[in-house]
Amino acid sequence: MSAEFEDVLLYAERPEWADVTPLPQYQGVDALAPINYSAEYQDATDYFRGIVKAGEKSPRVLALTWNIINMNPAHYSAWQYRYKTLLAMGADLEAELRLMDDFAVTNMKTYQVWHHRRLLLTALRSPAAAAAELAFTARVLAGDAKNYHTWSYRQWLLVHFNDDDEGGLWAGERAWVEELLEKDVRNNSAWHHRFLVVWASGVRRGDEDREAVGRTESAFAKDKIALAPNNPSAWNYLRGVLEHTKTPFATLTSFVELYIVSDAAEAPEVVDLDNPAPTEGAQLPCVHALEFLADVYEQEGGEQVAKAVEIWKSLANEHDTMRKKYWEYRIRDGLQGARA
Amino acid sequence: MASPRDLRPTPTDGYSTATSFMQQDTEETLLAHLPQSLASGGVIASQNVPAVLQRNVHMQYLLRNLRQGFPQRYTGQDASQAWLMHWTFQAFSCLGVGMDGETKRKAREKILAMQHESGGFGGGPSQAPHLLATYAAVSALAVVGEPGPGGGWDEIDRQKMYEFFMSVKQSDGSFLVSHHGEVDVRGLYCLLAVATLLNLLTPELLQGVPEFIASCQTYEGGFGNASFPDWAFSTDGYDPAAPRPVLGEAHGGYTFCALASWVFLQPYLRIYYKSKPPSTADAPAAIDRIPPTINMRSLIRWLTHMQGTGIELGGFKGRTNKLVDGCYSWWVGGCFPLVDGLLGPGASAATHETETATKAEHAQASAEDNDWLDIDDALFNREALQEYVLFAGQHPAGGLRDKPPKHPDSYHTLYCLAGLSAAQHRVGPDHSRREALLQSWDADAARQKAVASGPPDSQERLDSLRRESFLDALCWLEDEGADKYVGGSANRVNATQPLFNLTITHTELMMKHFYQQNLPSRVPKAAATRP
Repeated sequence: MSAEFEDVLLYAERPEWADVTPLPQYQGVDALAPINYSAEYQDATDYFRGIVKAGEKSPRVLALTWNIINMNPAHYSAWQYRYKTLLAMGADLEAELRLMDDFAVTNMKTYQVWHHRRLLLTALRSPAAAAAELAFTARVLAGDAKNYHTWSYRQWLLVHFNDDDEGGLWAGERAWVEELLEKDVRNNSAWHHRFLVVWASGVRRGDEDREAVGRTESAFAKDKIALAPNNPSAWNYLRGVLEHTKTPFATLTSFVELYIVSDAAEAPEVVDLDNPAPTEGAQLPCVHALEFLADVYEQEGGEQVAKAVEIWKSLANEHDTMRKKYWEYRIRDGLQGARA
Repeated sequence: MASPRDLRPTPTDGYSTATSFMQQDTEETLLAHLPQSLASGGVIASQNVPAVLQRNVHMQYLLRNLRQGFPQRYTGQDASQAWLMHWTFQAFSCLGVGMDGETKRKAREKILAMQHESGGFGGGPSQAPHLLATYAAVSALAVVGEPGPGGGWDEIDRQKMYEFFMSVKQSDGSFLVSHHGEVDVRGLYCLLAVATLLNLLTPELLQGVPEFIASCQTYEGGFGNASFPDWAFSTDGYDPAAPRPVLGEAHGGYTFCALASWVFLQPYLRIYYKSKPPSTADAPAAIDRIPPTINMRSLIRWLTHMQGTGIELGGFKGRTNKLVDGCYSWWVGGCFPLVDGLLGPGASAATHETETATKAEHAQASAEDNDWLDIDDALFNREALQEYVLFAGQHPAGGLRDKPPKHPDSYHTLYCLAGLSAAQHRVGPDHSRREALLQSWDADAARQKAVASGPPDSQERLDSLRRESFLDALCWLEDEGADKYVGGSANRVNATQPLFNLTITHTELMMKHFYQQNLPSRVPKAAATRP
């Protein structure tokens, strides 16, 4: 509860609320599993139910709903009614956003916090406000880099306003997500974001040559794999790029082969920019590389499937025993495919 | 015999980041909860390994919440009161705990107080109607309710509920969770589960839903929480070529909701997407659209990769490079029976059918020596998931949890137990059960119990949708020869119908009532083939 509400009277004790009939929560006689609310919460929600019943939309409703969501940020009915009240009053929605800034940071795990901002941004129709929101979400993500709601909201801002002008909303996105991956190359939320920016939301300004973009992204993922080979996020992105661009996995065979050896020292000394070698600390062989190579063999089909089966066996029995059932399934499926 | 656990830490490649630091901390904590006998790669020996489901303390935990109520810190769940009911009652169902008549009556009274006058249920009394709360309330009523006055079932205003559903429907096939609320696949799952249970399915309700679900699959194979509709659905109409980007990465909870929704939609896909000319005058052409597809290969890959390694005790995580959490035992673990159901019998094991009798024999053997021969064809490690729930998920003082040293709560108590159930049992669609249900199907009775819907549709096709949805939902049976209990059968929890997260019996009773059908008696799947 914020300081604003400390030491204030209950609504039941305030003369300015005397005209509202509070409505207690009906749960049946001798209710099962009641929540032991504080007196303040019970009082505020009694008055909220009264207000909703009367259909009042006024400044004091904003104060009441603010009080309730401070005690329970997941009270979606209070959020919903607050939003309707803001619209009915023609309230200053920018001011509402600023009021909610600190609140969003404190309660970032709550759906309603982010949905409310989305409703406000939709109503505001202001790209400038959206740009400010990008900065705001970047600050929040700096503290909690994988917050699902914040990421979804940021992605919504980008596609909803879809401002691809020079210096527009999309402009700084790839560089920003690269910064996040510099900080933590294992941040899967950032990888997903990159996929959305580059592949899943149309073509960005300057990205018209899709083949070139494919090469750049593939190279980007390979560099990140070299840095920390046992990082599923980077491998998943690489696979995503290949599948999206319908590029055969076999085009990466020489890269992947660097990661299936049992010791990084065995890797060739020659510097090959297309096929970055694992760093010194890399723990090899890398399960993701083995899996990838088996997929290459399976895609090639015919005699090659036997090689895939050998790899799947080694994954099942040695390198990735937790997924033994899955690798056995892949063996059955692969052999069936080879016969068909 | 249990295979020795590979307890190697997740490789950090000499390159630590925030993610790998948190991962290491968690691995150390979890490793401390692994019994010594497993740590040394030994055999599971029940006499010296505490692989015991503490049924009684969990039941006491749930009962305490029910009788004494929830402490003040649960104020944040004031809008989830229907969920608190569902989590508690379904956890009882898992544990095989029945409730007395008076408790059930009070529970019905409490749940019905959350029904909104404009249709659907709110998270608490006088709260706005919400899809999630509606599922939670109806699921809870499936456990504590019955037909007849005061039984709770006939007090559900299904006509108004249907109108509420239609009032939150969007043009892209998605649904708002509440008026002015967000769109996501959780709400859609909740709506489809309830509409299937209560006989509310219509083509107008389902229009566009398969395309929406398919659009939420990410490049990783799992599903995100929603897709963006405005490029494909503008004032100019529908553009199937426009991108519908997924907002949010692949996530266990959303993936369960999307996958279960996809299974619910199979009858609609079969009946309404057939592109063939009208055969008779009163049967208009099926909607001539290409049925959307989901990528099962990448989905299976993603699901199996959510299982943590030995050092994570085989628990499930909800996203790539995140930490294991007991609740994903269900959200991800519960996806596997759904995948098996979609692939059809024998798909995950070519020899599945011929092995049934052998399995039953082995099951009898396993009851004696508390061991099993590994003929299991599941796609994930069922023993390891049970170990996670038993060793890490249980709080010593009762209730289950995310991971140690966290506190238990109602949510994790149910989803850990449901995940344990998914790992212990094999539940799947059964062909002969489906045939038996079809034989006794009464189309007129089901039609009379349905709600009045919007635009007229071919009655024949609507009858088919109702019948197929009923058969698809109720033909799931437990393969009783394929169960596995880490720590012995004393740890058995009830089997779970994976589409609804209810027991098979509760699902049957409720659907029997709302489709007004007579159900043929059930013969256990494996027992039928036993000599």
